[in-house]
Amino acid sequence: MASVWLTGLALVLAGPVPALLARARWTRAVPRAAIVLWQAVAVAAVLAAVGSALAAPEALLRVLTHPQDRTGVPLVIAVGVAALLASLIVVRLLGVLVLLAVRTRVRRARHRDMVDLLARAEQNLAVGSLRSGTVLRVLDGAVPFAYCVPGRVGREGRVVVTGATLDTLCPDELSAVIAHEQAHLAARHDLVREGFTALHQAFPVVVRSREARDAVALLLEMLADDAGRRTHGDTAMAGALDAFASSGASVDANDEVLMRRDRIRAHVRGGRALAVGTYLAAVALVVVPTVTIVIPWLGEALPVVGVR
Amino acid sequence: MSLGTLARVALGELERAVMAQLWSADAPLTVRDVHDRLERELAYTTVMTVLGRLAKKGLVRQERDGKAYRYAAAASREQMAAEVMIDALGDVGEDRTAALVAFVDRVGPAEAEALRRALDTPAGTPPPTPPRSPES
Repeated sequence: MASVWLTGLALVLAGPVPALLARARWTRAVPRAAIVLWQAVAVAAVLAAVGSALAAPEALLRVLTHPQDRTGVPLVIAVGVAALLASLIVVRLLGVLVLLAVRTRVRRARHRDMVDLLARAEQNLAVGSLRSGTVLRVLDGAVPFAYCVPGRVGREGRVVVTGATLDTLCPDELSAVIAHEQAHLAARHDLVREGFTALHQAFPVVVRSREARDAVALLLEMLADDAGRRTHGDTAMAGALDAFASSGASVDANDEVLMRRDRIRAHVRGGRALAVGTYLAAVALVVVPTVTIVIPWLGEALPVVGVR
Repeated sequence: MSLGTLARVALGELERAVMAQLWSADAPLTVRDVHDRLERELAYTTVMTVLGRLAKKGLVRQERDGKAYRYAAAASREQMAAEVMIDALGDVGEDRTAALVAFVDRVGPAEAEALRRALDTPAGTPPPTPPRSPES
């Protein structure tokens, strides 16, 4: 039975749950808790898939043969098949994760080097008040544009803005944008994102890994927006987003910026109850299946293979 | 003055200055050329070390010319700026490797398209490798 339950759980967590969660609007009120919930869904889905792979052959064997025959060669085959299926999932995910991490870091290092060389030195001094360990770089550019490049081991991250950003934004708005980028760097939002990117690369079809990645990316932006709001006010943060959005033609990314602006203007902010409920749901997602399905199954399955 | 005693900020500034010389030169330069063009109080070895660092990062090409090494920028300033922008924009696109450069907030699609075209068709832009000058 464990196998059936785990397979069902894995399917639900890989399909309908991400689809619903990606469409939910309440998550915008509690971005931090919602990101944790997304992570819990991802972890629970992977664990359930691995668990169902491990449990399936044993369950099949139980159906096909009599209990007294479950020794020797059939058991070895069953355990072997289970291990193979489970390790396929794990190895695939880990492989993608390692490859992605290496590639990302190599390209980031190159990007940092190039940004450092291209930066307009005289402009860098004009914008002060940066948290230590972060470097601001101003590039030539006619479009208002801001992003950050994480540094090695969380230090020396770069906040990059174009010259047009300095010209377009008022000082408060600029400070809010910098606070936004610094929030990304300080809380290592890139690692959260990297996890969901790896998940999508490892399992690109069937499962809703793309929705998960994109929804988490948007929530991370909102979380960083909230950091800008806390230090420089709603008006400055919304004004900056407005300036970014209104300076170019409409694209998908632009719609997201407008969505974030409107969220700030509508003063969307979740209550404590919603956040606590979301965190509890996240914990439950990982703990409940383990306690109700996996532990009872281990109690049955381990004695069969001689582990007590 | 050894590099160890140089502050990181000063080193970055020095790399920018050296790169500016390579970008403005018509042909690959020797360490001596760069040193003379910089017009400031710097040890020859400091310039050599900075060029070596840039070469190690792949931003500068090092080529042997008789007994001396000559250095040239691996890409023009415009090409490098285009590469940076495409890197940054790539985060929004679907086909890119990852959260390489995290969190792009805004870019014009027209500009992105122009940059992509600029990189795809190097014929219209200045050649990526500055012409050699064997006679100098």
